[in-house]
Amino acid sequence: MLAELGFVVVAGLKFGALYALAALGLVVVHKATKTVNFAHGAFAMLGAFASFLIVVNWQWPYWAAYLMIPPAIGIVAAAIEFLILRRLRQADMFTVVIATVFLGIAIAEGFRLTYNTELLAVPSLFAGPPFRVAGVFVTRDTAWVIAGALATAFACIAVFRSGRLGRGMRAMAANIRGAQLCGYSIDGVYMLAWFLGGALAGFTGVFIAPVTGVSVDLSIAIITAGFVAGVIGGFDSPAGAIAGGLLLGIAESLAAAYVSSAMKNCISFLLLFLVLMWRPQGLFPEGSGRSV
Amino acid sequence: MRNLNISMRAAAALAASIGLLAFVSGARAQENGVTPSEISIGAIGALTGPLAFIGAPGRDSMTMAFEEINAKGGVCGRKLALGFEHASSPAESIAAVKKLVEQDKVFILVLASGSTGAAAAADYVRQAGVPTYNLYGSTPIIRNPFAKNVFHGAVVPVEVSAAALISMFYDGGYTPKKFGLLAGTYAFPQATLKAAQDILKQKGADVTVEQFDIGARDFTSQLVSLQRQNVDSVLLLGSFSEAGFAIKQARELGMTNVRWVVDGSAVSTAIIPILGNADGIRGYYNAPAFPGQTPATREFEARLKKHLGSLPQGRPSIYDLIGYGSGYVVAEAIKATNCQLTRGNLIDAWSGLKDAGPTLLGGLDVTFPESYAPTDHQGVYRIGAAIVKDGQWQVYRVIDKP
Amino acid sequence: MSERRLDLAALAPASFIIVCAAVGLRLDSYPQYVIAVAIISMLVGIALVLLVGLGRCITLASGSIMAIGGYASTLAVADLGVPYLATLALAILAGGAAGWIIAFPGTRFRGHNLAMVTLVFQSVCIILIRQATWLTGGAEGIHVPAPQLFGLTIASDRAFLILIGGAAAVMTLFLSILTRGPFGKNLQAAAGNEIAAEAFGVSVRGYLTAAFVVSSLAIAFAGALLAPRVRILDPDSFGVLESIFMLAYPIVGGMHSVWGGLLGGGALRIAPELLRPVADYQELFFATLVIFVVMFFPGGLIELIRRAAGLLLVDSLDKHFDALHAVDAASLRVPVGAIHGLIGPNGAGKTSLFNIISGFLDADGGRVAFAGTSLLEMRARDRIALGMTRTFQNVAIFGQLSCLDNVIIGLGRNAVVHAVATSFDQFAAGAATQGARRRALAALASVGLAGQARARAGSLSLGDQRRLEIARAVVSRPRLILLDEPVSGLSESEVEELRNLLIRINAGSRCLS
Repeated sequence: MLAELGFVVVAGLKFGALYALAALGLVVVHKATKTVNFAHGAFAMLGAFASFLIVVNWQWPYWAAYLMIPPAIGIVAAAIEFLILRRLRQADMFTVVIATVFLGIAIAEGFRLTYNTELLAVPSLFAGPPFRVAGVFVTRDTAWVIAGALATAFACIAVFRSGRLGRGMRAMAANIRGAQLCGYSIDGVYMLAWFLGGALAGFTGVFIAPVTGVSVDLSIAIITAGFVAGVIGGFDSPAGAIAGGLLLGIAESLAAAYVSSAMKNCISFLLLFLVLMWRPQGLFPEGSGRSV
Repeated sequence: MRNLNISMRAAAALAASIGLLAFVSGARAQENGVTPSEISIGAIGALTGPLAFIGAPGRDSMTMAFEEINAKGGVCGRKLALGFEHASSPAESIAAVKKLVEQDKVFILVLASGSTGAAAAADYVRQAGVPTYNLYGSTPIIRNPFAKNVFHGAVVPVEVSAAALISMFYDGGYTPKKFGLLAGTYAFPQATLKAAQDILKQKGADVTVEQFDIGARDFTSQLVSLQRQNVDSVLLLGSFSEAGFAIKQARELGMTNVRWVVDGSAVSTAIIPILGNADGIRGYYNAPAFPGQTPATREFEARLKKHLGSLPQGRPSIYDLIGYGSGYVVAEAIKATNCQLTRGNLIDAWSGLKDAGPTLLGGLDVTFPESYAPTDHQGVYRIGAAIVKDGQWQVYRVIDKP
Repeated sequence: MSERRLDLAALAPASFIIVCAAVGLRLDSYPQYVIAVAIISMLVGIALVLLVGLGRCITLASGSIMAIGGYASTLAVADLGVPYLATLALAILAGGAAGWIIAFPGTRFRGHNLAMVTLVFQSVCIILIRQATWLTGGAEGIHVPAPQLFGLTIASDRAFLILIGGAAAVMTLFLSILTRGPFGKNLQAAAGNEIAAEAFGVSVRGYLTAAFVVSSLAIAFAGALLAPRVRILDPDSFGVLESIFMLAYPIVGGMHSVWGGLLGGGALRIAPELLRPVADYQELFFATLVIFVVMFFPGGLIELIRRAAGLLLVDSLDKHFDALHAVDAASLRVPVGAIHGLIGPNGAGKTSLFNIISGFLDADGGRVAFAGTSLLEMRARDRIALGMTRTFQNVAIFGQLSCLDNVIIGLGRNAVVHAVATSFDQFAAGAATQGARRRALAALASVGLAGQARARAGSLSLGDQRRLEIARAVVSRPRLILLDEPVSGLSESEVEELRNLLIRINAGSRCLS
């Protein structure tokens, strides 16, 4: 009974760590630019596809994928910011939401047209017997995903907190004109934020590829989970994003096991709804709210 | 005044669209789909979207079949021309079928579509009366009520496939004690689930049912529940990706003494890389042999590769084989009218076809032969039982009509 | 006069739908099917313009609302034997209720959180429909029976087109009236500036909730109309992707007018039929189209059409004063809704150009066209009838008359015979005079001179006189106003005031059409 619970919690942690990484990417971009990138899931899907190319097609070692893909996706994201989003900086939020939503769809469709298969399988990283933790089997891959994704997330937060660019992003989020007066360039900070967000999406993709395989619906799954996790944690708090992701993953897993497996998606939405109604600023908001 | 200007311009723009539509649609009208040189056959199926793995192979392989037939002179001195329209949802399917039947006036309509789209189209054709050939739809809603002009080909009704699936649990002297049913919540698996549950209830078997959402990748909760019940036989109803990840996770959870039987859509080469070692997994197959198992299927694979240029992962799939075989059945039905090419004659001729298949017209023997009767429009009742052995799928037994 | 114009404008979209249906009746059954479905999408587009464009609420729930309408109608007909028309009313109720349910939490949020709430509703709805197999047939779907109307079975495409055209036209008229009337205006106010709106009795929550309810009932109505056409209702036809693609209707068409939703819905629904040869690329095409429109044509198709209607066209105009080449091959194009500035040093020929355009000077070469009509052969005094007015560099008000009378002259229709008639009308205190006075007062109020209505125009300050000139130029609601050096001689603060006034007037006139 307890071992069963253990399995469920571990599975929840695994997906939770992935959701946390996805949510962090969204939150980083939102914190700096006040926009939510609905194409984030599509970026992650590209990252997963790239890891298929590297590991399966070109037969390079896995660490090459982890090293090369995040910066590559980051560059793609920054390029998109430069080409498309820059024009829309003056537009209202609705326009930007629509633009990124359809951008995500366009990327997913483009991928599907070039590589028309239902699913591309990516092999596990580690062969070898699973660990046994308190009677629960934890495969090496699962342990890697949990540890690796969380480590990446915390590393990103450290970068965001310290360092000039991190400060620049937070300054810009707080007061654009003030930040400009202090010498931060909007263009530079925005592009960097998108680069970071894209890199995080790339990381998400590489971590998730062996777990779920590469398919088109990965893009919708990731943006939905990442967004829900972000709202739960508090959209302007990087630490909140991680907490939200883990919470979502575990809650989903528990609900699926003990309430109803078919209603798994339903459960995560209900959780989101509860958070929105009870604590709309998220469970771990950063800064205090202002009411006018 | 300004309003009138804009209204007029808007009206002009939309009228232009409608006019273009009329022009586009009026361009290909033929009488009854038969000309002195050509017989036009229309087909609908999903070319994009989640069900593209059904429609695209259907189009590719049927086109290939028609090319082979036309190379030998066609049927009744005419070439077979395939017009394939993309359609997935009911709305798209009705639009596509209307275009093919009313605008292009095709002689025969082929449904290479997923269940809801095919059901909508079937509903329409029952009234329209055009000869219709359902290739892949297995759900009851397509087959009921019976219609004189609708024929069901290689894919058997869910009652037959469910019976075949259950019977595979007893192959090789295995005695299942506790059953688990793991099914997706979308149309395909649900219909099979219902049929399987009925059969197992009659057997008085001990059954646990778990479900998952389409595209699910994490089955921990469902598998944990099945494990709790100590199931030793699991019927998995879903796509190859869902089945693959479920079985993979089950093994990680320590469920090693389970006999796995999967739905036909999971019997595909693409499931093997997900698992690494997929030996021992069984499933049903709507053809007598898996691609690569016989010389005929190997030749088919070579021809398909040449036709497409390159073979994407998982091809040739069952949908390729069925599409190819069905193309030949269409040709033979036409031939059986003794070249009196009216729709009524076709329907009568088709209702009397016996053992129709590619071999009669010089094609490759890759599908089960199809036989029809005036009150039974199900062409095939036989189904193959397949198993993965040494990393390859092979059909090890053919199950006749129960 | 203007009141009547507004009525017609509200009727126009509904009449357009009827015209589409009528055109369709002369075509074959396949185009009839497509047009019927397109009309339904037009209705959805209009409903979304109300919610998304006017109310500025992002909604991802349109798919589920359509499903609710469709299933409510179908289940009522199939299981309860309710007549089809009654089920349309049922669908409206169900849709309205759904809209109210969404609005309950929804109006607490804006932006992303609102999108989330609607996404929750959408997903939960579809999952429930899929799970409730005993009621809805689950994922496999249910047959939709053919509608029975007064003993007739609607089965042919013709009959459907008539039914759908008529029903959609009625609902469209309802939506148009709401959109153009105070409901729409107050909704825009509530969505635009919540605090100001509340200060004047516009309950933001109330209006946004109403927007959700009204648009949802229309979308559910559309769903009930669509159901018999697609024959099989299944939950996957109404998923999140469908909701997202329906959002494209107002975006591509134009978010701020009924016509935008109508055009967007119609065009995007017909497009897949035209794109059959390249069906593989359909979704990619749509997604890129939306991105393109959002980036380069934020006003949508409607804006494109309006801009294409370039209002003023000057082509290679030439004017010589003996040896002085005052206007040298001047060309310019002023689109609708634009504020176009002509800048140049003294003596550059700006006033000469204006005088040619307004008919006080003949050109030596070139063309001038206003809304398609050539102006060169026309007399100056005929400009106002076309909808073109101007102000003058040296303020040209009628100093002896009161401000009110100056502006009344600005209304136009000042032919001798007409003036005789209106003089008698004024004597008899007739309606026409009252109307003219009212409009003139409104124009004076808009430039801030309402208090000076009876004052002699010549006694005003220069700044006020310029404003009077503008009031005179705008009172006839012209389509083009030429302003010749409107700010010369004004102080900085007066220039700023005038600038804001012009922007307001321009925006105001744009809202009207």
